[in-house]
Amino acid sequence: MRRSMILIASVLSLALVACSGPRPTAEGPPGAGASPAGSPVQGGRLVYALSADANGFNPVTDQFASQSYSMTGTIIEALVSIDAQGNWKPMLAESLTPNTDANEWTIKVRSGITFSNGEPLNAEVVKANLDAQKASPLNTAVFAPVKSIEVTDPMTVKVALNNPWVAFPYYLAAQIGMIVPKSSLADPKAASRTPVGTGAFVFKEYVPGSRFVATRNPNYWRKGLPYLDEIEFRILPDSQTRAQTLEAGGVDAMGTTRDEDIVKFGGLKDAYTVGRATGMAVPEYMFMLNTAVAPLDDLRVRRALAHGTDRRTVISTLRGGLTKEADSPWSKDSKWYAPGGNYPAYDPARATELIKQVEAEKGPVTFEIISPPDPNTMQGIELAQDMWRKIGVEMTIKQVDQADLINRAVTGDYQATVWVQFSSPDPDGEYIWMHQNYAQPVGAVSLNFTRLKDAELSNALDTGRSNPQEDVRKKAYATVQQRLRELVPYVFIDHLDTGAVIAKTKVKGIGQHVLPDGSKGMPLTGSPIPYHPFSQLWLDQP
Amino acid sequence: MIALRLVRLLLVLLVVTFLSFLLLNLLPGDPTTQILGLSASEEAREQLRRELHLDDPLFSRYLSWLGGLATGDLGSSYTTSVPVTEALAERLPVTLELLIAAQVVALGLAVPIGVAAARRAGRPLDQALTALSFGLLSTPVFVLGVLLILVFAVKLQVLPATGWTPISLDLGWNLTSVLLPAITLGCAQTAVYARLLRTDLIATLQEDYITLARARGLSPRRILWRHALRPSAISLITAIGLNLGALIGGAVIIETLFGLPGVGRLIVESIFARDYLTVQGGVVLISVGYVLVNFAVDLVYVAVDPRIRRV
Repeated sequence: MRRSMILIASVLSLALVACSGPRPTAEGPPGAGASPAGSPVQGGRLVYALSADANGFNPVTDQFASQSYSMTGTIIEALVSIDAQGNWKPMLAESLTPNTDANEWTIKVRSGITFSNGEPLNAEVVKANLDAQKASPLNTAVFAPVKSIEVTDPMTVKVALNNPWVAFPYYLAAQIGMIVPKSSLADPKAASRTPVGTGAFVFKEYVPGSRFVATRNPNYWRKGLPYLDEIEFRILPDSQTRAQTLEAGGVDAMGTTRDEDIVKFGGLKDAYTVGRATGMAVPEYMFMLNTAVAPLDDLRVRRALAHGTDRRTVISTLRGGLTKEADSPWSKDSKWYAPGGNYPAYDPARATELIKQVEAEKGPVTFEIISPPDPNTMQGIELAQDMWRKIGVEMTIKQVDQADLINRAVTGDYQATVWVQFSSPDPDGEYIWMHQNYAQPVGAVSLNFTRLKDAELSNALDTGRSNPQEDVRKKAYATVQQRLRELVPYVFIDHLDTGAVIAKTKVKGIGQHVLPDGSKGMPLTGSPIPYHPFSQLWLDQP
Repeated sequence: MIALRLVRLLLVLLVVTFLSFLLLNLLPGDPTTQILGLSASEEAREQLRRELHLDDPLFSRYLSWLGGLATGDLGSSYTTSVPVTEALAERLPVTLELLIAAQVVALGLAVPIGVAAARRAGRPLDQALTALSFGLLSTPVFVLGVLLILVFAVKLQVLPATGWTPISLDLGWNLTSVLLPAITLGCAQTAVYARLLRTDLIATLQEDYITLARARGLSPRRILWRHALRPSAISLITAIGLNLGALIGGAVIIETLFGLPGVGRLIVESIFARDYLTVQGGVVLISVGYVLVNFAVDLVYVAVDPRIRRV
């Protein structure tokens, strides 16, 4: 009898579940029906899975990662955007004009725009935002060249710089250039939890660690946009269950860094689309070497390590052959990539010869590499350990967590580590990481983590920062790449374009947005998981 | 009695919080790098370190934190600036519901399994249930979780793979979202509980009063459920209290796997972010919960077996 009761209770509870209405957070307002072929449809609700939560949504006080840009970017817009060719284009700014020396920029603010709380967007607001960003401890190094910010008329701001800086607008396409109303600046804690902006969506709900919901902004300044009525970002940290949730229909799209997801969903073309970052948006995977400590202060050792690294084997083992070998911080499909230089080709014999030379002078070559305890990363390091052992180098592996690893990189308390970086849209974005002015002795905070001091490389970075002519800049950044190939502060492995956005085919418009001036926008950007705007996404059957 | 237990609770709290404070501060990694990011200057980091009192001696910081605890102020998260009490209050209902649901699942399965195995001790059914128990016990929760998602969410599409709906929003969807995580977390406990109950029941069924009950002609089912089960449940109840620690450990994995915004995930994420105050708050919450649950277990002993009151 009691067993029967238990059985009945179990069935009843399952029935209760089965009879519940549609999932409340996934239910959307009715859409406008099916679309004519290819044309955007108004309405519908998109559920989009992210791998991590944001620290907060205030661009002035909270450190943004790619997931922060996805969520906050629906609500808060930046002064600048990046087009498909990697050029900066005005967004909330109507124009940005440099003086002849490019050490003063005039920002004309787009008129007729109001924040969703009714506050107007004008030069005073932009100045207040840029002042706040300059004062923010998040940006002290990046905004160091900014001397003053002045309002010259109700819709114009003038930014004076200490030095010429032709790539300045690129920085305004990221967190630094995101504009919030004065009320948000006055109450940064509130702004951190309830973002307000000029964007296509307005904040609706945020449950930390669970979801972020934004609804259509009916007064959005770009007429006809957005297409979606609502977006829910769901925080699903486990990559495998995130993919399973997509398969089960629990979400419509997701970001991933797993090559198996790219292969699996990429093979199901009728059901899913897979978008991968390209060009400058692709970060590089490498072994980063501390050039200020022995034995990696010896160029012969660094070159031997590169000679001893079979990048093809690493790529086929770790990425299933999905990525391309790297010999530069910039992808081969970007306009900034330049061949040439003297990057060590895979040549174990030459590597062994170099190590023998060093051994004869200084004794055995041994060092420690630090790595996060991630199985895929460890597999790559063990491969390298095996390759380098064959050339006579003994490398020990020490596992540290991400926080410790970053701290050691910053303070120089490491010999080698595995590293992923370099996805800025313009090469000047890597200035502070490579310039010798940012290389400090071991023990001090150094943004140049390799601590490589090379005048030729630094001069080329200065030229790229200050000269407005593209051909001159290209030549300068070709020099940067050649010096990196020669001096090997990084043993490059591949251009890590396995960061992807995977969506059901009913989700249209990912990576196909158009900027206010009519040009196509950069499809996907950021790493490790790329992000994109949401205002022009639509659902085929909302 | 209660006063003594409160003193014990305070002692446990002091020891646990001091040790966790010490261990957290021994962890390598600088919170200011986590908060400000890579491109912050040394001056900015120094300033933040002063603001957060990270340069103060460890014991002085601990005393200051303890003073805050006495007034209910656990400080604010380093990374989000949200008060720790608020962050924990947001997450606690999720973890509580998960733990309760997992216990319900575990007991709901363990009692029938344990009883059936004890009734047919040594026979094929007992052996099959024993094998099942060991199978559940030896399956890691993340493997079971992925397997259950694959079957019920991806293939059958009857339950959501991930996500969380609060009770306040919709009870039905709340139960739906907690079912798979609760089954996953509860299954390992099921095996432990079923084995304990089986062993105790077999011993109880050999007691003289059971033989007497049989001689009086009571049905085997009545003897089992009315006369043998209750006195055999003491070990089971003890295990429920003690297993809370294991369940919380499992909840950390389950919350990450199923995307549940619970306390376990908050603590793990805070450890990685070197968000000391949030971790400390979580440790306090878990310690208090653990002590209180085991206190409640002691009270339940008396209700289940009145003879204990006389001991």
